[in-house]
Amino acid sequence: MNEPKKHRTSAIRIWSGIVALLIIAHASPSGNGRKFYDDDPLAREPESQNASAVAAWDINLFYDLAENLFGRPGDPGPAPHAGDANTIDEVPDSSWFTNRILARPVSVDEASRGPLTGTGPAPGPWSVVQEKRAGFAPGLTMRDAKGDLWFVSFDANGFPEAATGAILVANKIFWTLGYWQVESFLVHVQTDQLVVAKSAMVRPQSGKERPMRMSDLEDVLKRSHRSADGSYRAIAARAVPGRPLGGFKYYGTRPDDPNDVVPHEHRRELRALKVFGAWTNLTDMKAGNTLDTLITTADGRGAVRHYLQDVGSTFGTGANAPHDYDEGWEALFEGDQAFKRLFTLGFYIQPWQTAAYVKNDSIGRFEGDEFDPAGWMPRVPTAAFLRARADDTFWAARRVMAFSDDMIRAVVKTGQYSDPDAEALLASVLIQRRDKIGRAYLPAINPVVDVALSESGMLTFGNAAVAARVAPAPAGGYVMHWTGFDNDLGVPTGDLGTSTSMETGQSQAPAALPSTPGSYIKVEIRAVQPVNPSWGTPVSAYFRRAGGWKLVGLERIP
Amino acid sequence: MAYLRTAELKRLSGIRDRSARTLAAEAGDMRVRIPMTVSLAVMLAAASGDRCAAQDSRAAIITALQEAKAKTAAPYTPSRPERVLVAVHHEFLEDPSGFYPYFASVYSGGGFTLGAGYRRFYGDRTHADVKGLYSVKSYKLLEVSTDSWGHADGRLDLHARAGWRDATQVTFYGLGMDTPNDPSNFRMKQGYIGGDAATRPVPWTVFRAGMSYEDYTLESGDGPSPSIEEVHTPASAPGLGASPKYLHLSASGGIDTRPSPGYARRGGLYEVTYHNYADRDDTYSFDRMDAEVVQHIPILRENWVFSLHGLLRSTLDDTDTVPYFLMPSLGSGSTLRGYSSWRFRDLNSLLMSGEFRWIPNRLGLDMAIFYDTGKVTPQFRDISWKGLASDVGIGIRFHGPFATPLRIELANGREGTRLVFAGSAAF
Repeated sequence: MNEPKKHRTSAIRIWSGIVALLIIAHASPSGNGRKFYDDDPLAREPESQNASAVAAWDINLFYDLAENLFGRPGDPGPAPHAGDANTIDEVPDSSWFTNRILARPVSVDEASRGPLTGTGPAPGPWSVVQEKRAGFAPGLTMRDAKGDLWFVSFDANGFPEAATGAILVANKIFWTLGYWQVESFLVHVQTDQLVVAKSAMVRPQSGKERPMRMSDLEDVLKRSHRSADGSYRAIAARAVPGRPLGGFKYYGTRPDDPNDVVPHEHRRELRALKVFGAWTNLTDMKAGNTLDTLITTADGRGAVRHYLQDVGSTFGTGANAPHDYDEGWEALFEGDQAFKRLFTLGFYIQPWQTAAYVKNDSIGRFEGDEFDPAGWMPRVPTAAFLRARADDTFWAARRVMAFSDDMIRAVVKTGQYSDPDAEALLASVLIQRRDKIGRAYLPAINPVVDVALSESGMLTFGNAAVAARVAPAPAGGYVMHWTGFDNDLGVPTGDLGTSTSMETGQSQAPAALPSTPGSYIKVEIRAVQPVNPSWGTPVSAYFRRAGGWKLVGLERIP
Repeated sequence: MAYLRTAELKRLSGIRDRSARTLAAEAGDMRVRIPMTVSLAVMLAAASGDRCAAQDSRAAIITALQEAKAKTAAPYTPSRPERVLVAVHHEFLEDPSGFYPYFASVYSGGGFTLGAGYRRFYGDRTHADVKGLYSVKSYKLLEVSTDSWGHADGRLDLHARAGWRDATQVTFYGLGMDTPNDPSNFRMKQGYIGGDAATRPVPWTVFRAGMSYEDYTLESGDGPSPSIEEVHTPASAPGLGASPKYLHLSASGGIDTRPSPGYARRGGLYEVTYHNYADRDDTYSFDRMDAEVVQHIPILRENWVFSLHGLLRSTLDDTDTVPYFLMPSLGSGSTLRGYSSWRFRDLNSLLMSGEFRWIPNRLGLDMAIFYDTGKVTPQFRDISWKGLASDVGIGIRFHGPFATPLRIELANGREGTRLVFAGSAAF
């Protein structure tokens, strides 16, 4: 009876997911019929428990890659609706995500500043306290003259400004999208600025840790690109607040974090990396590039904050060299692709084998002509990536489309590329890929957004696909079906009528809307567009009478 | 938050009151024993559901659920597969000192071989090894070695080794290309001690020099075919009956643009090596020159690769007496793959191989269709395009970025079809 042992790990994960879903199900008002509560929609995900007992863990790189490449960790069933989305299908602020672009006005300056709150390392001697042990880029850990801890990574030899530029730009993009990001500053390191601390340790090829020597530092610098003036361009990443706990997995929950109750593969902001990753070509999504830290909240409790720590393997470059030709197109192992190539003697040709790239050592292999958002693939797909649904990708695509051309150019400028062609290339490809993402995901489902009902009964809404100019306005306009809604039972009541709107996104509600405070109504909005039959599936909006009408629910996919 | 659709709720509420074991079967048709902690968690979840019904806000419900989880929160416990893989990773990569499996060949023709080694680092990039191999034909190898890498600013590697090899049934078909497929066999024991240095003044060049003392003892073969002395005389098997001891000097220089000798899809090797075998009795001394060319020609971003290999081995003085067991030879998994090991021997050899490779998976799987051809000759001037033996075949290679740990090939020559298993790149 080896089978139980063989599957024990999977079973634990499956059951962890089921437990969480059970918890969620019990949390749902449908357990007793009630659909909405007075505090719906939540704007912030509650974190009620003290998580200070959370222990640091080390997610083994090889196991993580093998598990995600050859297995399918996480909930084995069909992907349910995102577990962390609130009742209006948005993601509340949390220790994972902060609503920024699209949710509120974000200026070009704010996006360009990104997560930076202070200045970079203090000038003066920098004390190297440890080698860099994560990732493949040459680097080190040091304290500046003020004693602040910094993680320094250099451009690989032969690829000036590539890794550092990618980190600077991607850092701002992912912060603007809403993720917790490390503060990353561009620095130019002079060798005489570096001093090896007495406590500094290295782990050479032998695996035996020993005190760091100057020659070890020289070895790091030999792998790094040296500028003409003798300095080394590098990123100094400020140590994040709190106690590092290791990365997070893209499935299940952290078992010792009491506040972590939604399986990560069902978190929308992690599923959305399918879109954000495709846009930026974030090919290296492994758990090792994430970081959890234990912070102390204002009321003194411990809470776990989740960072996308390393978003540097983006655009066309990795830490040490340009992306491989197939990066972003194909996972490290895809059985069906391998079999097709095997039996056709390699004549099963894919776009990555013929896509043309503008040669630029600072940007690497990054293009938009052949880019296919839906076909984009990281090196190792995560459990959340594989479970992204149309409503998740729609949600993400709206945020990508919210980046204006000016904002993209401004953010790219923070990469401080000395080659204007590099800057122009990166910006133009990002714009091109952004537009393709809009065309791929916004029209894919009913794109009705921003539904509101005025006190006078005027219903207004937008069409995200039409607004982004990736789809024509629905030829047949919109049809609204109005019903009452019994919130205690969670079921619609009698028909209130039907209304239509041709193009304006405005429609007067039937006169029979209830006037009692606390009453609910439901309106189903569908678009009549023969070229987009999916628009015929209605978006259901729920309103509660509280003075005026408040949107309390929105269902895009049944 | 936690706003699930009705269908999902029905599915979940439907399983609410069932036992954990039944739930497991429905969840994934997994015939597994449900861990006690998980069962408890399920029950807790059910209990929390009752409490949730009494909550009057979404935040309160979620808080109740988090309270429920807090009661069972516990540090992560890795699964057994994870523990095993992490241990393997630690043992062989993070801490390369210690025991390791050793896959190599004792001597060509030894058959399936297994082995193990023990490595201990005594410097950042310097280690000592003890390793042993044993094959199904009772071939044996014991070796102690030390390797020190990356001296002189990463340009110089130093190696030293001493060992003993016992090849119990090495085949011998006679000299030349026209020998019948009717081998005899001999046993060769070899003790050796020596060292070598390799330097790359610039990354695309390589120079090597080595010196070793090699003590050969030749005995009757243990194989099923007749022992060599029953079939051959010193005239047909030069050096028969002798057990020479050599001081072997070698020096080479070349251009090497391959990413790694163990696995490459691009780049090439152009190298010439000189060998001097000085017999301590000065009876069987000889000099040999080897010239090797490898060129990989990638097509369409390494979707296909044409790989070419040429290897010429020539005894420099045709009048030297080279013992039969040290003559250049063809036939094996790395030369003429459609022929058995040591099928052709003589004073000179020429091997040419061409491969059409395609790459089903860039991470670790290559396929190849190949053609090998070559000949051995008694004199260098006899090297020509005539009288070549050849084979064709197909192969599958499992590789990493720098090595090819498993190569399986099917090759067909005029003497039949052979299956090749190897733990190294073809070239």
